[in-house]
Amino acid sequence: MSTPTTFQMPLGPVHVALEEPVYFHLTVDGEIIRKVELTSGHVHRGMEALASQRNLIQNTTLTERVCSLCSNSHSFTYCMAVENVLGIVIPPRARYLRVMAEEIKRVASHLFNTAIQAHIIGYKSLFMHVMEVREMMQDIKETVYGNRMNLASNCIGGVKCDVEPRHFDYILSMLDKVEPAVDEIRDIYDNDPMLLGRTRGLGLLPFEDAVRLGVVGPVARGSGITHDVRKDSPYAAYPELEFDVIHRDGCCVNSRTLVRLDEVFQSFRIIRQCCEKCPDGPVTAPMNQIHPAEACARSEAPRGEVFYYIRTNDTDMPARLKWRVPSYMNWEALGVMMRDCTVADVALITNSIDPCVSCTER
Amino acid sequence: MAGFLKILFRNLLEGPSTDPFPLGETFSPERIRGTVRIDPELCMGCGMCRYSCTAGAINIRHREDGTGYTISVWQDSCCLCASCRHYCPTGAITIDNDWHHAHVEADKYGMLEQQTITYEPCSHCGTLIRPIPLPLARKLYAHNTTLDPDVIRHLCPKCRQIEDAKRNACHLPAHGERRAHDDSVAASAAPVKK
Amino acid sequence: MQEIIKGRPALIDALTGDSGSPAAVHHSTDAYGNAYHWFKLPQPRRLTQAAARLKEAGARLCMISAYNRHQLSEQQQEICYHFELEGVIYNLTVNLGSEWPSVPSITPLFANADWHEREMMELYAIRVEGHPDPRRLFLDEELDAGVLNEAVPLSVMMNGACTTDLWERILKDRGNMA
Repeated sequence: MSTPTTFQMPLGPVHVALEEPVYFHLTVDGEIIRKVELTSGHVHRGMEALASQRNLIQNTTLTERVCSLCSNSHSFTYCMAVENVLGIVIPPRARYLRVMAEEIKRVASHLFNTAIQAHIIGYKSLFMHVMEVREMMQDIKETVYGNRMNLASNCIGGVKCDVEPRHFDYILSMLDKVEPAVDEIRDIYDNDPMLLGRTRGLGLLPFEDAVRLGVVGPVARGSGITHDVRKDSPYAAYPELEFDVIHRDGCCVNSRTLVRLDEVFQSFRIIRQCCEKCPDGPVTAPMNQIHPAEACARSEAPRGEVFYYIRTNDTDMPARLKWRVPSYMNWEALGVMMRDCTVADVALITNSIDPCVSCTER
Repeated sequence: MAGFLKILFRNLLEGPSTDPFPLGETFSPERIRGTVRIDPELCMGCGMCRYSCTAGAINIRHREDGTGYTISVWQDSCCLCASCRHYCPTGAITIDNDWHHAHVEADKYGMLEQQTITYEPCSHCGTLIRPIPLPLARKLYAHNTTLDPDVIRHLCPKCRQIEDAKRNACHLPAHGERRAHDDSVAASAAPVKK
Repeated sequence: MQEIIKGRPALIDALTGDSGSPAAVHHSTDAYGNAYHWFKLPQPRRLTQAAARLKEAGARLCMISAYNRHQLSEQQQEICYHFELEGVIYNLTVNLGSEWPSVPSITPLFANADWHEREMMELYAIRVEGHPDPRRLFLDEELDAGVLNEAVPLSVMMNGACTTDLWERILKDRGNMA
């Protein structure tokens, strides 16, 4: 009688990588993973239904609460969708302020993901150090916008929160402190033999698979796809700002991390340009009359492309508001990444797509 | 590895980076969104804050005898999105940096910012009205030197119309003249804010 | 018809052909000059052909939005497929018959349509023909499909803060405390 060579192994749903629920069904051969299936839905909140029971102004706040790390991207893209559907053109100052808030959030989000990677590897002192560096970005958000996570910066037609000249000076002075600290961190992730031994060559997502699965954000750019909404279809102030799209061909966990860390420096460049170039003037445009129409909008969140679709009727509530978050496209790539890896790598690989479960399930 | 050891030693020498809260003070910037406050001098009860509040944390209740209204913000529902402050046409809503909201379950319904606004009789006909807040009246009648904002603000809309007509204070734009957007006048419900 | 800002003329022409008439096509741009093309397909079965065309051109599927036209007082279901190619968005809208809503699956063409199609199956009870793995995505098997077509109990619960009952309690209790 032959013994079966593969076994089913459940993993999750509690806190596989981050403190968010997702349930993996692994088919393992000894310690080696042969097949991955995942079940989600533990935090499905019916937010799209909630959105069609609220007026357009209220939905700005609601969409900001889809996710915590990319909260600003949601209200940003939602407001762009509403502006597209109603034909509102936002003032130049608002375009710069929106970009600035977005990039501050991006730096904090990328540093958070990088820190969690060290945490999963068991390199706790590095985790603490990266989080401490990130804390300076949190201080910027708290001082300028008034909250550590939900900036409440965007509103339909512009921004709610004007940034005063002293805040620009404050942001620049903080960046002068953060930038060398991130440079040190980047050097560690690029050269530390312990980190490289754990992450380089792990969780491979070849270019062809990345294209086939339509992955977005740093996951795509870590597999050599030079796709970035900020460059492909520029919005807000991005057409007037200089920055590079970072990509790497390593296709592994480490190259995704390095894409994120290099992007942090591009974000610093963008924030500095915003502080310098931000024109004076009004920060909001008046509302237009609501009429039945449809429109979409997209932007590059820290995790990749966010896509919003809105359909209005004659009322102040949207007939349909649908959005797709970057993580939604990246989950299926885990099946490719985890094949022939060991069970111990699951958390590390999951973290490398920078997953957001509550975003995905809405 | 050596690279990180250097950082580790530097961090050790610098000592803890956390604040000794609650035993000592902690970082609370001036702009942090802590508690919603309503200025009873400025609130007109228009309900724009209630309309823009996603959480339904704002309640405006008119007194049954028609002598005024009470506006309440329940801190436990408020998500501090600052929409009410942004869209308030009179600037009656502010958010201060008091974030100390921890409370026991029994006190939950007391976490309320509440203001009661009492109507006053129209100085001419006696109908109960909410007088126009003085700063708003000054703004509205800024271009008219013949009217005393402090007098006209105590008139009900009907008496104000009559008063306006009497003094021939109305300035209507000439036919075909299109006025550029004037920020001193609330032109529409559109969210315009400086 | 407004001038097309960006996009591939040959692809736009071919998709216009799939839509049947030029009236079913419109083009829009946002304030930053990004182009959006909207094509309305006459029957769901045309979708496979149009999607294949986009696949061949190298487009990427961005999102699929299903919605019903209840609020426009029409008993119809529509699905909008959003594709991206070279920074331009191509939207294909499919109108479904009301009695037995069904649409061909495009997962064989675009692997990332998988989750979107499973989501519209469970939230709108749309039948997707030929989906390789029609399991539930987020909702439990015990729930009926099509919950977004009806009331959503969770959101009623989430709206708790807005109910008049709650405000009665807050205002009454406040009175007692004072």
